[in-house]
Amino acid sequence: MYDITPFELDEQRDLEHYDVWLLDGTHSIPPMTPLSGWAWVQYCRSGMQYGAEMLSLPTCKGWDWRLHDHCIYLTPLVVTSEEEVKQREQVFRQRIAPIIEDYDKVWQGYVKEMLAMYDHAKSLDLEKASNIELMEHFEELMHINKRVWDIHMFMMYAVDGVFILFENICKTLLGIDDTNPTFHKLVRGFDNEIFQADRKLWQLSKRAIELGIADVFQSSKPNEVLPKLEGSEAGRKWSKELYAFIDQFGWRTARIFEYAEPSWVEDPSPAIMNVKQYLAKGGDFNLDDERKVLAEEREAAEKDVLSRVSEEQKGWFTALLRLAQRSSAFSEEHNLYIDLYATAVIRRGLLAIGNRLAAAGTIGHRDDIFFLIPDEIRRVCIDPANHDLRPLVARRRENWAGSLKREHPPLIGKIGFEEAVGLLVRSVDPIALKIVVGSLPVPRPELKADLYGTCGSPGIAEGRARVVYVYEDLINVQEGEILVAPATYVSWTPIFSLIKGVVVDRGASLSHAAIVGREYGIPVVMNVFTGTSAIKNGQTIRVDGNLGTVHILG
Amino acid sequence: MEEKWTYWFEELGKDAIWVAGKKCANLGEMARAGLPVPPGFAISIRAYERFVEETGAAQEIRDYFRDLGDGPKNILVYEKASREIREIVQSKAIPPDIQETVAQYYQALSERCGASDLPVAVRSSGPVSMPGQFDTYLNVIGVEELNGKIVECWASTFTSQAIAFRAQKGMPVESSPIGVAIQRVVNAKSAGVGFTIHPTTGDWSKMVVEGLWGMGEAVVGGATTPDRFVIDKETSSVEKSVSAKPKQVVLKGKGTGIEDVPTEKQNVPCLEDGELQRLLELGKMLEKHYGGPQDLEWVVARDLPFPANVFLVQTRPVTTAKEKHTTTDTIIDLMLGNVFKR
Repeated sequence: MYDITPFELDEQRDLEHYDVWLLDGTHSIPPMTPLSGWAWVQYCRSGMQYGAEMLSLPTCKGWDWRLHDHCIYLTPLVVTSEEEVKQREQVFRQRIAPIIEDYDKVWQGYVKEMLAMYDHAKSLDLEKASNIELMEHFEELMHINKRVWDIHMFMMYAVDGVFILFENICKTLLGIDDTNPTFHKLVRGFDNEIFQADRKLWQLSKRAIELGIADVFQSSKPNEVLPKLEGSEAGRKWSKELYAFIDQFGWRTARIFEYAEPSWVEDPSPAIMNVKQYLAKGGDFNLDDERKVLAEEREAAEKDVLSRVSEEQKGWFTALLRLAQRSSAFSEEHNLYIDLYATAVIRRGLLAIGNRLAAAGTIGHRDDIFFLIPDEIRRVCIDPANHDLRPLVARRRENWAGSLKREHPPLIGKIGFEEAVGLLVRSVDPIALKIVVGSLPVPRPELKADLYGTCGSPGIAEGRARVVYVYEDLINVQEGEILVAPATYVSWTPIFSLIKGVVVDRGASLSHAAIVGREYGIPVVMNVFTGTSAIKNGQTIRVDGNLGTVHILG
Repeated sequence: MEEKWTYWFEELGKDAIWVAGKKCANLGEMARAGLPVPPGFAISIRAYERFVEETGAAQEIRDYFRDLGDGPKNILVYEKASREIREIVQSKAIPPDIQETVAQYYQALSERCGASDLPVAVRSSGPVSMPGQFDTYLNVIGVEELNGKIVECWASTFTSQAIAFRAQKGMPVESSPIGVAIQRVVNAKSAGVGFTIHPTTGDWSKMVVEGLWGMGEAVVGGATTPDRFVIDKETSSVEKSVSAKPKQVVLKGKGTGIEDVPTEKQNVPCLEDGELQRLLELGKMLEKHYGGPQDLEWVVARDLPFPANVFLVQTRPVTTAKEKHTTTDTIIDLMLGNVFKR
């Protein structure tokens, strides 16, 4: 299927040059629509190579990427010559220094740049724009796409590298690894942007009680709530407050860089669902108190570890600790400012073009735009009526729908998984190690577990399993259940306040499930690979974050 | 402990910290090694202790703190305490036999330097580093003034900062025994620092000397880039970077003041070639004596002939660029050595 991108996996030729291609299960399961997949493989890939090069990462030049059946497959570009490693190390010293010296200054500078780009893009009146203006807008969006990925990967390589160092130092200097609760206490309990959105939602739930309209939420589906609220003054008041929230925090989609998913700006139902869930938790639940406890625990843990570090080491250890705490916050914040915001802004423009093409009959429906690739959009955008892309869309749609049902092998290559992991270890690629691929679980038969994974967040929990593949299924999650998913995404964050534990097929210590599990103090077991197929809805399971095991109790 | 009130620097050594304080011990160690430090002698810590006990000052101070009680203190309380205790100490006279010894040493020192009443510097020399550094008096002339400044030096241990520091650290507040260094004042033509290895690259084959006209202190509010001389230890060749030096710090009364440097001297190197070679020679002696690279302070006197005009006033082990590593460098080193290592 070379008609989507020049990055379609050629199983013969691509395996002559590279030994193995690994599935990016964290991001591309379920499979992505063609336009989203195109953008992902173009810009995330080039961003990764840009980041590795600009930072002069000593051992890895980023990854090469392929699309295969609408999923992403990766292979690391390992620096093989030791001489080149040495040269890259020298440049690395200079490039990473500003981030280590003043992380906030660097990151806030980028945030400002990105927000300015989004504001400019959002300022276009899409209804009034001519076809030519829409075309120009499309190019602007693609430029945004490229730039935010460059920033994303440059920062992430630096920040994840720091986090790995912190993990290693904690192990060697203090004897605490990532299964030790102290480790997680050290890096959690900060008030980051994502959490502020959660707090606003929680406050909106309190507001609903105050205004005496809580029963509307309990008796209605999320999409029915707003129309019902229009009937009363209290309801209209609440809606106004909700829209103020959406204006500030609603530039997010359910899934990062999947343009086919609606953003909260278009449909605030997800926000309403979160409010519903907070209401279900009952009146005495207090999010602020929970956060306060975490912050206090962190301070106590800091005091404890600092008392165990020698005077000579205290200076750099403290600086490293602060950076690691920032790394953890970055993992959440970058999602908000890059992954979610850019996706929502790009989707906004794509929908306008989709509407224009559908009106001209070029495609059958607005959302068919997600089955085109940029060159096709460029071909038809100025004079859409003279083109009919419906057969193309139909063929791609059918193929994509099929991919949702097909199995996607975790790797395609000449070598097995263990050797592939060896290759990753050799690349020392911080993003591969900490987010996308993670470490390989070690089965320990003596524990008699049904699934073996790695520790994302420590603790033990027992409860009913709730298997969730897509965002829409989150509505079914009941309080006290254990979430089982291929991976979790930033838009899923609020659900973590309801559940007792998490099992994800793929992930590592800086992926979403681990970071948020840590923040909410619930156990997370990661990289079990087959969790979503082995565990059935409603089964009682026990998850042990410390050991990285899952027992299916029946 | 031996009851001795005064010591020539040459009698002391690096182990004499509890005899006469750090500064005196260090000067003693250098003098013993035959290095040219400005000559002088030390008043022992024991002399301080005898002074405060015998004059009743210690008891008065203890009473003062007892009356103050254990309640919370703020800086105003400590400032008042400092003022009042200094008054107590300064109202006392040095025991006559100590005065006599001091007078004998002062006279001998004057003779050594070919003067009748030699201008000396009086500096406190504590056994441990204390914040709010105690006073230094320059150009002290004659026995009477000298006795007065010694008592002032002793009283200076009761600065408000020092009292607060001791109270916080749970150290006894009523006394903080120190030694005193009495040393020939060097009327400096130029002064500065030196490193017996290159301080940034760590190159052992180079010595680096930096200096300014006058007392060598940075001139407040003015551009004070020092002259910099990189000397090759093998070939003795010198690489000079000379800066414009419009101001200089000079001796003035009992302290220092700022003066303009004559225009014709502003862009002239503050060290002559012979003086540089002498410093190289001394640097090598230091390295040999201390068994490692040194970070030194030097002074060239205005009124003495070469080479007797070149003095060393301080030395300590050099903190090389590698050791001086900033936190950022340490973290980067760790990332390269620990994370990106395969």
